[in-house]
Amino acid sequence: MSSGQTLLTIFAFVLLTTTLNNFYRLLGISGDDISSGQDGILATTIATSYMEIAQGLAFDEQTDTSDAALYDLNVLTDPYNMGYDIADEDSIQDFNDFDDFDGFIFEKEASGTGRQYATQFSVNYVSEGDISEVSNSRTYLKRMDMKTWRTFPPAPKADTLRLSLVQGYFHFD
Amino acid sequence: MTAIMDVLVSFIIGGILLMIILTANDIAAENNTVYNGDMLVQEMLISTCQVLEGELRNMGFGVAETVTTIVEADSGAISFLTDLDRNGTVETVRYYIGPTSELHNTQNEGDRLLHRTVNAGTVSSIGAVTIFDLSFLTQQGDLLPRPVPLARLSEIHTVEVTIEVQNPYAPLNPMGDNPQALFSSSLWQQTRLASQNTRR
Repeated sequence: MSSGQTLLTIFAFVLLTTTLNNFYRLLGISGDDISSGQDGILATTIATSYMEIAQGLAFDEQTDTSDAALYDLNVLTDPYNMGYDIADEDSIQDFNDFDDFDGFIFEKEASGTGRQYATQFSVNYVSEGDISEVSNSRTYLKRMDMKTWRTFPPAPKADTLRLSLVQGYFHFD
Repeated sequence: MTAIMDVLVSFIIGGILLMIILTANDIAAENNTVYNGDMLVQEMLISTCQVLEGELRNMGFGVAETVTTIVEADSGAISFLTDLDRNGTVETVRYYIGPTSELHNTQNEGDRLLHRTVNAGTVSSIGAVTIFDLSFLTQQGDLLPRPVPLARLSEIHTVEVTIEVQNPYAPLNPMGDNPQALFSSSLWQQTRLASQNTRR
């Protein structure tokens, strides 16, 4: 084999190696995308489970303990004092109103998979004219913002699911 | 002599290249099938869960406060009351997992049908699943025994539903002495309230 042929062979191998490298990389990316689809499903189901629990709670501590219709906004929880109201309400089983979730981070394992997901909560009053706008004063609307991400095993690409839920005060006379 | 050597070396190099390309082709084909399977099971899972989720969401709708919403609670079956068509008449909806023999003709030995009935009428199948597991929790988060005794049905506050879907057919992994099917699987796990209006 002449040195020209040897060089040509080496060049062909380098070309083939580069092509194969790209090929396997693409396969890996496709696998990651499919896997993150499964992660997305689990993260969504976990976040919607919390939403379901939140939807079953009272609008405010005040409306949980009183059957009377509310006409005065000032009796609602202070916007700067969201979160659980008394020490006995510091776990999800004991929450009694929507804003008790504020500031909490809950971790949940999707049984059977070994995967763990953390969900962070933030609850604020929102403007009645524009629910995307956080209000620093009391209104009859509260918005819960949730961020869910996989904590174990750590995801190859950091990916956070963000969901929001708005609850409004209503009363049947 | 040199010419023969050149031909031999060319054969060897050509053979190596052919092997590499054939292996890459095999891997691509296998991955393609597995990824297709993954996508398929995720779609199957979502379509099954959309039906289930929609109805569990309305569990207890139109049911009097004094009546227990869930009338049967087992690991693989649930019956609950809801006013499906909003006409003031409460229906009993039942979801239950069928035996694996119903899908014995598929390659996957674990898949089975998830059935739905309304007022014990015609059975309809809403999808094929490999796991349909229900857990029942009290307001304090305590797990209730399954099947939940009749006297304790009213204690159910939340229902945790776990569903796994695997594809019915999958390619065989050629590695090892006992080739195993590469089934794709997708899991769904959600908590639902037995009644939406417990604190409102």
